[in-house]
Amino acid sequence: MDVRRRNNVHVMGEGPATMMFAHGFGCDQNMWRLMTPSFQDRFRIVLFDLVGSGLSDLAAYDRAKYDTLQGHADDVLEIAEQFATGPVVFVGHSVSAMIGMLADLEAPGRFAAQVMIGPSPCYINDGAYVGGFTRSDIDALLETLESNYLGWSSTMAPAIMGAPDQPALGAELTNSFCRTDPEIAKHFARVTFLSDSRADLHRLQTPTLILQCSDDLIAPRAVGEYMCRALPRATLRVVENVGHCPHLSAPCASTSAINEFLGLVSD
Amino acid sequence: MEQRETAGALPKADVESLYENAACGLLVTSTDGVILRVNHTFCAWVGREAQELLGRVKVQDLLSMGGRIFHQTHWTPLLAMQGSVAEVKLDVLHRDGRPLPMVFNAVRRSSANGTWHELAVFLAHDRHKYEKELLLERKRAEELLARHQEAQRALAVAQEERDRQKTVAEDRALFAEQMMAIVSHDLRNPLSVIRMSAHLIGMGELSSNQLRALGRLSASTLRAARLIADLLDFTQARLGNGLQVQLEPIDLHALVAESVEDLRLAFEGRSIVHQQRGRGACVASSDRLVQMVGNLVANAITYGAPDKPVVVTSAINDGTFSIAVGNEGPVIAAELLPHLFDPMTRGKGTQEGAHSVGLGLFIVREIARAHRGMVTVASANGATTFTALLPRAAETAA
Repeated sequence: MDVRRRNNVHVMGEGPATMMFAHGFGCDQNMWRLMTPSFQDRFRIVLFDLVGSGLSDLAAYDRAKYDTLQGHADDVLEIAEQFATGPVVFVGHSVSAMIGMLADLEAPGRFAAQVMIGPSPCYINDGAYVGGFTRSDIDALLETLESNYLGWSSTMAPAIMGAPDQPALGAELTNSFCRTDPEIAKHFARVTFLSDSRADLHRLQTPTLILQCSDDLIAPRAVGEYMCRALPRATLRVVENVGHCPHLSAPCASTSAINEFLGLVSD
Repeated sequence: MEQRETAGALPKADVESLYENAACGLLVTSTDGVILRVNHTFCAWVGREAQELLGRVKVQDLLSMGGRIFHQTHWTPLLAMQGSVAEVKLDVLHRDGRPLPMVFNAVRRSSANGTWHELAVFLAHDRHKYEKELLLERKRAEELLARHQEAQRALAVAQEERDRQKTVAEDRALFAEQMMAIVSHDLRNPLSVIRMSAHLIGMGELSSNQLRALGRLSASTLRAARLIADLLDFTQARLGNGLQVQLEPIDLHALVAESVEDLRLAFEGRSIVHQQRGRGACVASSDRLVQMVGNLVANAITYGAPDKPVVVTSAINDGTFSIAVGNEGPVIAAELLPHLFDPMTRGKGTQEGAHSVGLGLFIVREIARAHRGMVTVASANGATTFTALLPRAAETAA
């Protein structure tokens, strides 16, 4: 199994410890481009795409394996094994925060710290628990995904993606960061938004930062607060930000919150 | 340059009107999505006044829930990373709650004053309907495929079961035929003892009652012997490679005459006439010809009119010779004719036929085939005639 190819792993930076960055549902490792520069002089940086996203090996998308988040968590452990050195900080956005937690629970001690950006253990409302969504909201999302292929086509050569610095409307690479096989996107959306990891939260003994946005549709503040209560060693930091991607829209505030947390952990 | 000159040539009022009433919705939002400018076209589409949107409402607040999630997971990161998004289709909710399918293009702009987003929006009712049709068709195709695959699987299972049952049936049939061959073979010895004993008894002094009983005994034994011979031939023809014949020069007319004489004894009280035509040497299996004549005559006796003679004709022609057996009486039903020579085919006999297991004519055909000849039947106008036509110098069938 070629893990590098399967997960399109990229390693950069130098340092005695490793930071692994895991993107969430929708895009790929390009999401971290505004954040990695402030860490790569101190850390070894491991970037990768979840199988089924970005430039991962789509042929490796085994429905049975990735029918739960555990499949991705197993991949994370394999990537850490092969590419990380020293203590490992896992930075997971959105659904990848829970993937990081599952990996951590499977191999206690493997990760020195967890940074969860906009995490949610369960997106669907359930009794007193407010996840923010109903089952029909998720069905509506699946429908929306069906009419948005974002430049994907089954005949497209998958290797033309790059990182154009200049925005170019109508250029060939438009929408490329979110380009996925629509069938995989739907399956991953279902697995993501119907997952429920609430029962596992209390078992995570690793120091954890919850980076909560002040106004986030996907992970409302109540969810961040719930997580902070449920996780044994969690710190909650709220970043002033509208939206679900503070690492893109508020990279400085996010970076400093993470730095502060890492300073506390290493003390 | 040219573009700037053209725009510059337009009066300001026209430019404003072009913006407000453009053939698409035009919006400017903050990076958070708060609507800063919106044109009349968009307001008219969504059934709202510009005043209630400006500075208060975020563009994502106007989307359906599916659209809002997509906006967060795809639109926002794309716009942040590549500065633009194109052809994103989302449902915008009309004031009355109706979803309006719209296609969005958005681009990020920056200046010294900050960063903002410019959006162009198009209604996509027809595209939406077309997509629905396509999705419906795809779903139908997938269902059909699934059903087809299910049917294929069921068919495969059924075929497997059928093959299995066929094998079982064939095994049973083979076993039964082998049993029949063994039993037939083993019956020949006791039967020959009976025949020999009857012959010995006939050499002594007998009362007329005893003589009649002995006659019936002889006739019945003969019929039983013929039946067993037929059964053995049947199994040989079916299980082996057809009937075996030993060819030799024969005197056809004498052979048939002798057979007819024997048959007269066996079928006492019935008239059997022998006619002869032509002269010449023939090659055939004399045992098989006797058997053939016996079967055809027995058949004629069974199905023919009791008071009419059975006529046996042996004829020698240029390259062939023939043996024909005719009787008067009811003709053979038309629907029976195609299967007449198949094993186990039986007609409606006027008499009780000890010899009517239904193998007689099958054996006759097999004998003819073994001589590279053929059997035909003509049944009309109250008369039925079977004719075996054989080559005079037969080569045996391989």
